Amino acid sequence: MADFTLIAEPPLKGVDHNFGDTRLYAPDDLAIVSIALPLGAEDATLQAVKSGFGADLPAPGQSVMGNDDTRLVRLGPDQAFAIFTRATPDAEPHVQSLLKGAAYTTDQTDVWTGLMLDGPLARTALERICPIDLHPDAFAEGAAARTVMEHLGVLIIRTGPDAFLLLSASSSAGSFLHAVETSLVNVT
Amino acid sequence: MIIDHPLLGPRDAAEFVYLGDAALIDRPDWQAADAMEQFHSYGYLRDNPAGQHQELWYHEQGDRSWLVVTRNTLTHEITAVELARDVARKRGRGK
Repeated sequence: MADFTLIAEPPLKGVDHNFGDTRLYAPDDLAIVSIALPLGAEDATLQAVKSGFGADLPAPGQSVMGNDDTRLVRLGPDQAFAIFTRATPDAEPHVQSLLKGAAYTTDQTDVWTGLMLDGPLARTALERICPIDLHPDAFAEGAAARTVMEHLGVLIIRTGPDAFLLLSASSSAGSFLHAVETSLVNVT
Repeated sequence: MIIDHPLLGPRDAAEFVYLGDAALIDRPDWQAADAMEQFHSYGYLRDNPAGQHQELWYHEQGDRSWLVVTRNTLTHEITAVELARDVARKRGRGK
């Protein structure tokens, strides 16, 4: 019998386009793990996050960088994402080993697709499709928001003055790429 | 219409889904003697005020939180937005 080897591949793997000085690309080996704070044990979880990642879980709508370039995003009172780079398919056990059972963790790597938008046109392109106010005064570096762009749910995180990480459902990755690309073409 | 989410700040109403009267939080006791009567009004009977109305909104295209929004049905003015969780706890819900 033939011996098959399956290779996990993100839906937008290899996407890398330049629009003037602005670059739109799919980050390699993006890993996402959700962290749910158990009801009544929130304080213990926050403590575990601090010792596991070396950073306090921020307020909802904010993100911070922890150890090993792990970005901790607080999505709501009892939910957070850990976003990091990992080539091996063991993101969830990795996070669970850091938290030592203090939170419910679920691997989200394959259900989301990531796009990085970096450059002077980033905000101009996004303001056409993103209902969130992206002015630095309202959406500073580290700010994160779940919202909707072109009817697709998106988690947007400002990772730099002109850099945004956009996460959307992998099942509609092609449509999402099309939406962002179209907006970029329209402002280039 | 803009809903000022208590945690996330102002968000467009397009991110939300409307459910209805916030009285749905007050689920009757199923063991009460008149439970049948109470569940009938809980399930079917609603006030339809022209003015202040407390209603449940779900932030589906956002953080998936349930909100209690106090809205004037005549002017659409929103005077208060609270997490449904906090409202339920204030009304004596355990979790």
